[in-house]
Amino acid sequence: MRIGLLTEGGYPYVSGEAGLWCDRLVRGLEQHEFDVYALSRSERQEAEGWVPLPPQVSRVRTASLWDFEDDGVVHGRRARRRFAEYYSELAAVLCTTAPGNSSAYSERASRGASGSESALEADRFANALYGLAELARDEGGLPAALRSETAVRALERACRAPGAHRSAREARVPDLLAVAARLEHALRPLSLDWYEDDDLGAVDLCHAASGGTAALPGLLARHFCDVPLLVTEYGVRLRTHYLTEPDAPPAIRSLLAAFHGRLAAETYRRAAVITPGNTHARRWQERCGADRAKLRTVHPGMDATPFAETGESPGYADPHTLVWVGRIEPVKDLVSLLHAFAEIRKAEPRARLRIVGNPTGPEGAAYLAHCKGLAAQLFPDEADGPHAVGRNPVSFEETGGPELPSRADAYGAGALVVLSSVVEGFPSGLVEAMFCGRATVSTDVGAVVEAIGGTGLVVPPRNPRALAEACVALLRDPERRERLGAAARARALELFTVEQNVAAFHGIYLEILSSTPVRRVVLDDTGEPLPFAVPAEAHVPGRWTDPTARVVARGGPGWATDAPVRATSPASATEGAR
Amino acid sequence: MSGLGELDRPGTPGSPGAWDSRSRESLTDPVAGGGGAAGEHAIAGGSPVARGGEVAEGAEGSAVAGGSPVARGGASDGGAAGARGGAVGGGAAVTRDGAAGGGGAVAVGKEAPSAARRAAADPVKALMHRHRDLCERAVDPLEIAAGLEAHGVTDRTAARFRHRDVFSLAEEMYARVPRDGDASPRPTNPPAPRARTGWIVLALLPGALCAATVAGLRLTEGRPRLIAAVVGALVVTLALRAALRRGPLRAATRTTGTWTCWLVGYALLGDGLLHAALAGGPDGLPDGTAEGPWPVTVAPVLALALACAPAAASAHLFAVGARRKLAASRGLADFSASVRPLLLGTVALFMCALTALVALTGAVLAEPAAHPQALTLGALLLLARLLTVHGCTHAPTRVLTAAATAEAAALATLFAGRLPGCGLLAAPVEALVAACGPAGVPTAACGIGALTLLVHATRRLTRASAHAPMEQPR
Repeated sequence: MRIGLLTEGGYPYVSGEAGLWCDRLVRGLEQHEFDVYALSRSERQEAEGWVPLPPQVSRVRTASLWDFEDDGVVHGRRARRRFAEYYSELAAVLCTTAPGNSSAYSERASRGASGSESALEADRFANALYGLAELARDEGGLPAALRSETAVRALERACRAPGAHRSAREARVPDLLAVAARLEHALRPLSLDWYEDDDLGAVDLCHAASGGTAALPGLLARHFCDVPLLVTEYGVRLRTHYLTEPDAPPAIRSLLAAFHGRLAAETYRRAAVITPGNTHARRWQERCGADRAKLRTVHPGMDATPFAETGESPGYADPHTLVWVGRIEPVKDLVSLLHAFAEIRKAEPRARLRIVGNPTGPEGAAYLAHCKGLAAQLFPDEADGPHAVGRNPVSFEETGGPELPSRADAYGAGALVVLSSVVEGFPSGLVEAMFCGRATVSTDVGAVVEAIGGTGLVVPPRNPRALAEACVALLRDPERRERLGAAARARALELFTVEQNVAAFHGIYLEILSSTPVRRVVLDDTGEPLPFAVPAEAHVPGRWTDPTARVVARGGPGWATDAPVRATSPASATEGAR
Repeated sequence: MSGLGELDRPGTPGSPGAWDSRSRESLTDPVAGGGGAAGEHAIAGGSPVARGGEVAEGAEGSAVAGGSPVARGGASDGGAAGARGGAVGGGAAVTRDGAAGGGGAVAVGKEAPSAARRAAADPVKALMHRHRDLCERAVDPLEIAAGLEAHGVTDRTAARFRHRDVFSLAEEMYARVPRDGDASPRPTNPPAPRARTGWIVLALLPGALCAATVAGLRLTEGRPRLIAAVVGALVVTLALRAALRRGPLRAATRTTGTWTCWLVGYALLGDGLLHAALAGGPDGLPDGTAEGPWPVTVAPVLALALACAPAAASAHLFAVGARRKLAASRGLADFSASVRPLLLGTVALFMCALTALVALTGAVLAEPAAHPQALTLGALLLLARLLTVHGCTHAPTRVLTAAATAEAAALATLFAGRLPGCGLLAAPVEALVAACGPAGVPTAACGIGALTLLVHATRRLTRASAHAPMEQPR
């Protein structure tokens, strides 16, 4: 089957985010055909080129989000009126709803008036969005129109209208201009020529690799060509939007937040299936109106092979060594870890702590220096006897040297892996430790509890004493440590491998396709619809006549054979799909 | 606040005791024994608020066998900073199941009123104080939720504030932010982009080079004069291009300079040609002087070249003024009304400068001052450039084309009138020249064009969208 993979600043570009995940997905599902539709985010990204693409990627179409391209079309009077109508509608929706409540209508849908009202607002937004898209398709000239005075006036009218949101009412002229420019930027996918029958209209399924702008082409493909949409979000775009630009004027933030919230709600409403990467993303999606029946959590997959050796031979670690592995930055709260280690030393004087990682940026370097100072202050150097050279029980190391060639060796060097972050998304370091079969003590942040399950100890963040208690308990109990490590490894191998990720998406693809009605109805001579005239595999040119394909041999369509289990790309396993 | 010793003593024997002992159990229990994790979790999630109250109360009774150090840590923190205590209170090192992650929604029991009695037991207030920047600037509850999560607040933390999740906690915080009716303080104007002085030099360059060329023309004879003219024209054109690439006259879109060149060329040669054509000439090619068979009028061209600097300066003034008005005005209508005088003033300023330059060059070069045609051409070019700079390219191109075509047509009709039987064609131009002299043709063409563009500019350049800051490609 043919899958349109929609990315924004992502996959085929070398520096794209979540590129590794997409690459593994595409390579893992080699029996499908992928059309990649990529939006690039910057000129630099475009200049850096693409990653090597496997043969199942049959076509790549790109468009730039950073370049203002005016197609030179000047709208006639009728088009201008159409544009003004839709844009006023859009502006009115963005201004009138109190944004925070706007997206929570799923909860209120059952509560009568306010529910139907917010559903009405959602419909208005959708109408305006698709109206603009249709205008762009029919007439062109949308980018210029979105920056025109008509647009700014419509925004001003909406902001000054009674019932507008408090912060929208304060909008000044520069704010209006900025909002118009940002909306134009966000709506650039509307002007693309991707929505014809031989582009996105020809795919069986659109898979948006993130929410937000990347899902917009999928929404339009669904609107114009009835292609089902699958949205995968490892980080919620709406939340990212809230965290960027905290210093912009409130009017701009309010209107843009409303836009992104509405867009997310519309995406979730239209998507056939939504796959959050963890419970945290799932909660945000539910909050933004995603139907629970559509949500399937698909954990990010990580490559387990580099850790296999360590994981299968857990015996050789020093039983008194604790290891912390990660990038050194203030949110990792190493200070807390050092204080906890001071407590641990009181109970277990032979304990050692190895902190393995590189600082990120100047802030991280400063933090590392601070931590080194603190460690030197807390722990004097110690020697085995009067004639031996002493050393500090806390060591700061980096991977890549002869002592710790890889991260797997770093995890393997300790009996216990500690994670002390105060903020964490999906804890890929923790999952790596699980792959290595190490017992872990981590702080209860982000998706830690979700990842670790019952296979490690979890303590509250910023609580050195609790951390120390837990570590001491595990240090004194090698048997329990071993049991926890084995359980963690089993859990990680079951939940967080690339194979499970790819298999999950394979299943979801089939599920969506099975519930999607035939879109192209072929009529026979008498004008009656011809059943089974267009089977799904008919969209896979060249595959089913391929003599090496398993399709013919097994007598069934290729995509319906067994689930794929493929070796992963040899790229480094340090990044999760994030 | 009570001392640390008291903080050690949990008050009610009920929940903290069980909580402590069970968490102690789970500390020492192997994983397999984690069956009670969910229950433990529920207790951990539910009790701390109550405990916060109890701690503040400093209840007597060390009935419970000394709580585990973990719990002590939580309690002491709770005493020190209410919210923080809540965050930490959750506890002991428990092994939890991921599925139980969302299960922190435990109704707080009867202890709630006693907790609410205490001011210190309003943990949300303390939390709001800690995140007051976030709360004050948030435009909706989700923004607070995102900010809280970025600071490490999870659903389990929110459970300690008696909320089901971070979202409802954020909603309470959003609702409780004091908002007086006043608007938020006026955002300070963004610092004006650093004024670079490079463009001033570039804007002076065409004038200087043109003056040098004119001097070269005056001082040489014959072939060197021809070379000087060619080189001068080339150099001035290049300097002009450079001046239009940088500074306030820079346009985002590419424009063609053909018609501008034609109009300037007409100012240089056209009047002489027209004059000569009316007299039956021209009898030879231009020789670079005003006295030859095809006289060359250098003064207006030199004046126009020199006027590059005032043009750039007035465009700069207009842009800066418009930006200031943009920041100051409240509505679009306000803005339009305040920019219109600015635009007219800018154009008038430029016209004054151009008039002075034309008079000056006329006097220095001892040529008859060509005021009308130079002034109208200057106004036309300035307005066309201003419109182009602000993103309106359609009208300027049309008008420049029309003006150039009109001038060309005037010359063409004169020569066409010499054909037998076509004398009538030349009549209008001859009448015009008879009425206003040879200057009438360019003055009329450029004047009408300039007026058209002025009317257009008062409509287009007074819109706010014409002054939207262009984003830089990243």
